[in-house]
Formats: sequence, structure tokens, C-alpha cells
Amino acid sequence: MMGPEKIESSGEKPSLLLSRADQRRHRIAAAIGQGFLLAVTSLSTLAVLFIFYFIARDAFPFFRLEGFREFFTSSRWYPSASEAEFGALAIFVGSGLVTLGAIIVAVPLGVAAAICLSDILPFSARQIVKPVIEILAAVPSVAYGFFALVVLAPLMQEKGGQILGVAVWLIGAPLAAIAVYVVADVATDRCPDRMRPCLRWCILLVLGVLSLAGLAFAGNAIGGWKINSGTNALNVSVILGIMALPTVVSVSEDALQAVGRELREGSYALGATRAETIFKTILPAARSGILAAVILGVMRAIGETMVVWMASGNAAQIPTPWYNLLQPVRTLTATIAGDMGEADHVTGSARYHVLFAMALCLLVFSFLCNLASEWIVQRSRKKLGG
Amino acid sequence: MRLETRKILDRAFAGSGVLSIILMAAALVILLAPMFIRGVGAIFFTGTVEHRRLMLEKFDRGDRALVEAEIESARQAREPVYKAIADFERELAGMDRAKRAAYGKNLKDTQKALRSLLGPAPGDIRPMLMRDQYGQTRWDRAQVKLARVLYREEWDYSVPERGGILMHKPRKADFAGTSLEAVFPYLEQNIGKMILPRRTLYWQFLTDESFDSHFFGGIWPEILGTFYLTIGAMLLAIPMGLIAAIYLTEYARESRLLDLLRTCISTLAGVPSIVFGLFGLAFFINTMKVSQSKSVIAGSMTLALMVLPTIIRASEEAIRAVPKTYKEAALSLGAGRWHAVWTIILPAALPGILTGIVISMGRAAGETAPIIFTAAVSVGKPLAIWQTLTQPTPALSWNIYNLATEHEAVDEVRHVQYGLVFVLVSLVLLLNLFAIIMRARVARRMRT
Repeated sequence: MMGPEKIESSGEKPSLLLSRADQRRHRIAAAIGQGFLLAVTSLSTLAVLFIFYFIARDAFPFFRLEGFREFFTSSRWYPSASEAEFGALAIFVGSGLVTLGAIIVAVPLGVAAAICLSDILPFSARQIVKPVIEILAAVPSVAYGFFALVVLAPLMQEKGGQILGVAVWLIGAPLAAIAVYVVADVATDRCPDRMRPCLRWCILLVLGVLSLAGLAFAGNAIGGWKINSGTNALNVSVILGIMALPTVVSVSEDALQAVGRELREGSYALGATRAETIFKTILPAARSGILAAVILGVMRAIGETMVVWMASGNAAQIPTPWYNLLQPVRTLTATIAGDMGEADHVTGSARYHVLFAMALCLLVFSFLCNLASEWIVQRSRKKLGG
Repeated sequence: MRLETRKILDRAFAGSGVLSIILMAAALVILLAPMFIRGVGAIFFTGTVEHRRLMLEKFDRGDRALVEAEIESARQAREPVYKAIADFERELAGMDRAKRAAYGKNLKDTQKALRSLLGPAPGDIRPMLMRDQYGQTRWDRAQVKLARVLYREEWDYSVPERGGILMHKPRKADFAGTSLEAVFPYLEQNIGKMILPRRTLYWQFLTDESFDSHFFGGIWPEILGTFYLTIGAMLLAIPMGLIAAIYLTEYARESRLLDLLRTCISTLAGVPSIVFGLFGLAFFINTMKVSQSKSVIAGSMTLALMVLPTIIRASEEAIRAVPKTYKEAALSLGAGRWHAVWTIILPAALPGILTGIVISMGRAAGETAPIIFTAAVSVGKPLAIWQTLTQPTPALSWNIYNLATEHEAVDEVRHVQYGLVFVLVSLVLLLNLFAIIMRARVARRMRT
């Protein structure tokens, strides 16, 4: 409280104006304060440079000791043998494979969910779905890994083929039905009105029988598969896909929301249905944002450790053929996590430094992904804004 | 295309969107259901008399007279079994050598299985390991062990292309015609009387130390370890994150430097968690020598670094969401910039900031990879607060991994694994629920 005495005591000086000394003191204090804030801020951001420096510092000795060639081109990974070999190709392929699998699971589901959230569901339903996504994102990775190892892996080993067979039917049947219907419709577009219904029914019947036969064949073939080990790339891919879903959904939903109302209304005014509006107008406009979502999903999947360490089988081999997801694989993250325990005792050896070399590859990759996604988002923002 | 077809396509499209969301929710339910159902089983289960004996002998819990009466009645029920074995051993001594060898091996197996079901036989020397001193404490495990007593496992390789097939041969047939034959039906019928199963609430699972590498006891050291790690990480990350957010929103002018800072923050957010772990090892432990080897403080620092971007972004967003008029009003009343931030903007942004903090707390508590090399050990005592500076600790997340993959008897401690997962997941979900509710309240306030 500024009492009246205070004003009196300051004599004839106007009370609200500060003296020059006070002003200077204030300015210095502000500068110091701001400097302090800047210092703390840059400290926390400089951390990332520190990470690069310290990972690289321990990674380079490996390349000096063993060179680049073997590391990137050989798939013989025997780091603890007396004649140690550090061919990490199989491990790179393993990382790539599970990431690819995760993206195949996450992107269609995630983009469909994002479209549903931004354009189909009413606001109140959205409020219920959002927490589901948040919780999916919040569940710790080790819990996902535990689920993959303890619940999913035995299930796959015992009933994997049958489950996949049923999945083929569940996914294939509706898709085939729609495709057949559309093909029949499009094919009869140009023929005279009189013949059209008859012709359409014929095409429907033929294609329907064909696709049913195809589905039955595929379902039977896949249903007969015997999965030797439940801890394999498919298991990990599914779980990683679920883990990457929240990222994909929220980023692509943002991208879809960023497409303005005008575009949607324009499309509706031209007589397009909702599906046509979304496919022909909104998705192309939001393309770059969705690409950014995919990139972030890739980052999430490739950097994940616990799930792949627990449930990928950890076999440093390239599956035969390379896309065979039913074989165990080994990833970069799992190798770092699994081998460091033994390599820690031999700090300074190639065996220790090779793990840092892998970490450096991961770091550089995620850095590039990050730059790419940021660049994409910025560019699209400029385009939409201008 | 006909209008009708277009309509059907439209419907199918909307349906597939809704379906994908339902699938997502189903995935969540399928994921969480076993964790919660079986996780509760670590605390609330059907315990046997061995469990009550353990509680009495180790912790002096339970009604001594009652438990001792139970032990006595179980002993009486078990007596015929041991008597039959003793009889059979005498019978064995009278047989010829070939028969003696065949029966002898089988008998040894049976006795071993019986020991792991009921605990040491009367007259045995007290075993060294605690897991051998007690029989099965849980009814579900006891049934598995009972099956081991009743059936002999044998691998059948007769069909080479199918690999080995596990067969269960009844032991009763092995001992057909001897005095031991009658033991197996007796065991099957009277197992209830021998181990006296009863519904048990073992809430001390959360507050007990573990014994004999998690065969018995609870998970207190893990809970405490996760608590220390999380609180330590938040104590380090919150001030830095808040200051950075304030600087970025209120002080920094758009410039090259600001762009660089932002890129750094988003890169930090994208660094894989295992790389944080390696960095913690290389920097905090090997270079800065925060501690001799793994320690809670090194783990906390690593985790703090990991959650920093989340906190910065959430706080930034919360501060930006405060209406500009608040700040303008404060400034027009003569408050300095710092004064306005401290007394007006921060309090208004507090719920949003808190939401970000709570979410990153859940992340820090659940993350495993950064603490593998910096803080985690698989077995340890609960730490006192000053020991966190020098000692490593068990933690919920790490021990889930460790018990599920590296433990010597993964199947025997399944309930502990589920218990750990249950505690960790409920902790993280509660934190997130808190954040969700708080955010909803903020949103409502902003709208009105």
C-alpha cells in the first residue's frame, strides 16, 4: 500500500516518475533477468547439441577402429567373438522392416480415424474419442512390450495362422464387396438403359464368385501357416503400429482441420458427397500435413526400444525372403539396449563404441525426419495461409 | 457412376472411419484388460496355508493360534503321502537292482515335484533358498505344481516333421502295482485339505520388500524407485521448462536465434529414448561423474532431459492461450513485464501448465530405455532419500522387463509381473485421467 506519508516524504519530486538512478537500476535488472532466462532456455536447448556431441564422440572411435564398410554392408553380427565381426546390415533391415510393418498398420487406420474425427463424428462423440487416443499414447512402452511378449506371442504361436486367416476374411470381404459393386456399376455406365440391370447383375455375379473364391483360397492358404515363434516381426509391427497410432491420428487430424471450411462448402455446393469431398478436395489439400504425420509415426516406431527388445525375437538375420514378417528380427534400439549390459565392462573397445555408432545413426535419422516434417508443415502453412 | 452407388460408397467410407475408431478403442480394451484382471490377482487371490505360514514367520502377520492350527491340520492331511513314500522306499530296498534303478529315478522326480508343491518334506534339512522353504503360496500355481506331481512330462519325437510333442504321462501308471500307486488319487482328492486354499487380500504386496528375487513378497522397492526417479526428473525439468517457456513466449523476439531454439526443442522431442539412455551413460556418468556408476540422480537427470520438450511445449501453449487483454490490462496498470508474467499470466496459465506437467510425469514414470544404463537394477532394497545420490534402484518399468525376460523362472513370478504392470499402468492412467479432467475444466472455463 502506498500510504500518503510516502508521497510526502519523497519531497517535491513527482511520485510516479522514477529517478534516473532508479531507471538505470530497473533497466539493468531487466537485462540481467532476461539474460538469465535466455541462458536457461539455451541451456535446455543446447542439450540436444550435447547429445549429438557425446554420442558422436563415442561413435567415431568405432569407425576409426573398424571402418565403415563392414558395418553397413555385412550382415554378420558377432561382436563378442574372438574375431569380432560388426556387420549391422541385418539389424538395419530389422529396424526398417518393423517400422514398415508399423506404418502399414498405423497409417490407414490412423488417417481413417483422423478423417472420422474431423469430418464425420459430431463434437460430443469427439470428446469421448480423444481421451481414448490420449490413453493409447500414455500407456508405457514396457507395458506394450509385456503385452506383446506374454499375451500376443503365445497366441500367435498357437493360433497365429487361423487368426490371420480370419483377418483376411474380415478385411477382404467388405473391400471385395464394395469393389465388385463399383466395378459393376462403372462398367455398365455406357451401355443402353434397357440392358443395364441385366448386365450389371451378370458382372456382379461373376466378379462376386471370383472374389469369394480368391478370398477362400487366400484365407485357407494363410490359415494353414504355421508360425514357429510368436516373438517375430509381425507381432512387433502390430504393437508398434498401435503405439504410433495416436501420433498419426492427432497430427493428421490437425492437418485436416487446417483445411478451411470454404473448401468443404465449395465441394458440397458442387454436389459432391462427403466421401468425394474428402477424397478429392480435403485429402489433397491436407496431403503434406498427413505426410508429416507419417514421418512422425516412423520416428515413433523406429525409436521404440522396449517392445522390440522384448518381442522381436532378437535374431540378427535378414528374413528370407526379406519381407517375411513371421521371422524373428533384431533392431538397432534392441541391440543397443541388449548389448550395452555386456559391453559396459569393456568401455573403449569396438564392442562398446559400435553401439554408439548405431545410436548416432538413429539420432541422425530422427533429426532428418524431424527437419523434414517441420519443413513440410511450414511450407503447407504458408501455402494455406497465402 | 449412379447416384445410388455414390451414396453407398459414401456410407461405406463413413463406416470404415467409425470402424477404425472402434478398432482403436478395442485395441485399448484388449491391451488393458489382461493387465487389470490379472494384475489385481497379485493382490487379491486364493492363497494357501503356505502363504499364511510365510506371513506369520516373516512378518508376524495374522492370528498366530489360527494359522498354527491350520498348519497342523494341513500336516495331518499330508502325513499319509509321506508315510506312503517312506513305505515305498522300504519296499524299494527289497527289489532287484534294475527295478530299483528305474523306480528310484521316478521316485526322486516325484519327490522333487512334491517338494515344490508342499514345501520341504518332514525330516528334510532346512533348505538354503527361501523358494525351497515354502510350498506354493498361490492356489493357481499349486494346481500347476500338482499336475507336475500327477503327470510326468515326456517329449515325443516319433513324428520327425512335427518336432517334439509334449506328452503328459500319469505317474500313477509308472508306479502301478506298488504301494505308491494309491498316493496319486489321494493327492488329487485331498489337495484342498493339504494346502487349505482361501480367498486372500494381500494388499501388503504394494508395501513389502521382495524376497528371494521376487519369488515372494511385494514390490515396494520398485514403487519407491519409480517415485524417486519421477520426482527427481520433475524437480529438474519443471523449473527449466517453465523458464524456457516464459522466455520463448513473453521475451523472445522473432529471430534466427528463436528459430534455432525451436528446432533444437523439436529435435530433442524426437530423440529416441534409448539414445537418451546412452547419452546419460556417456555424459552424466562417464564424463560428469555425477555418481560412480548407475544412480537415481543420473537417471532422473536423463529423464528430465527427455520430458523437457513436452513441458516446454505444453507451458508455451498454455501461456499463449491466456487472452492478450489480461497482459495488456496488467501493463496498463503499471505492472512491469516480469510482474505481469508472475502475477497475472502464470496463474491464468497454471491449469494448462499443470496438465503438461502431469502428462510428462506419467511419461517419466513409464519410460524404461533411458534408465537401463543410468539408474536401474533388478533387485535392491528400498533406498533412503540420501542414497539416491549414489545408488541405483529397482523401478517398476525396468522390473517388468527384467522379470518377464531375464528372471530365472519367468513362469513362477508371472503374478508379480502382472502386479508390476498393473501398478505402473494404473499410476500412469490416473495421472492422465487427472490431466484430461483438468483440461476439460479449463476448456469449459474458457468457453463461458
